[in-house]
Amino acid sequence: MLRTLATGERNIGELAAPFRMSFAAAAKHVKVLEGAGLVRRRVQGRRHVCRIQPAPLAAADEWLQFYHRLWTEQLDRLDALLGSEDCRATVTSKGKDAKR
Amino acid sequence: MSATAQVKVTRHFNASPERVFDAWLDPQTVGKWLFATPKGQMVRVEVDARAGGKWIIVDRRNGEDVEHSGEYVEIDRPRRLVFTFRVPKYSSLTTEVTVEIEPAASGCDLTLTQTNVPAEYLGSNEKGWTGILVGLAEYLAQYVAEHI
Repeated sequence: MLRTLATGERNIGELAAPFRMSFAAAAKHVKVLEGAGLVRRRVQGRRHVCRIQPAPLAAADEWLQFYHRLWTEQLDRLDALLGSEDCRATVTSKGKDAKR
Repeated sequence: MSATAQVKVTRHFNASPERVFDAWLDPQTVGKWLFATPKGQMVRVEVDARAGGKWIIVDRRNGEDVEHSGEYVEIDRPRRLVFTFRVPKYSSLTTEVTVEIEPAASGCDLTLTQTNVPAEYLGSNEKGWTGILVGLAEYLAQYVAEHI
């Protein structure tokens, strides 16, 4: 639905059509999207024209990207830490071997 | 709505599942990597490693203390760890992080999933964000439905 709206304004009937959805079901969907601030609706006579609001989607995308980056960095550090512990363990065991 | 937006990161480690798992809960180890920054100084690491126990990691960055904290929800060594996570300085949102560790041929594979906690658990401040994420989840669920 949002992808359809990304290409331009649509009324609720037009949004319902590709999903073989009833008008009522589509209206419910639009209401959720409106509540989330992703879609704005205006009434033109009997038509309810919907338009996408790109800013919140961009914000959500930014949120996902921020945390994806954060966790990737954490796991990089964990990997490096475990790797450096391995190196130390190897050096220590080599040291022990040398003493024998 | 039960659908939530999520972040998912997977990683292979050349270390045993137990070693990778313990790195999350051993206070000596966790402070060396989790939320540690290269120029920061780890000033507080507390881990009460039991379901319902709290954790707190404070890193001092340019003289400012950045607190990361939460509660453990599930601890199943060495396979699964679930905890809540918040950084009050930057966001009033509490999210949930699940760490799953699967043994692999050499070492293990870790999958980290972060989901936003459903709206009913949050105060009114979070409504904006939750709404956005619920909206995004609806979008993603629809995208998946269309592509399967």
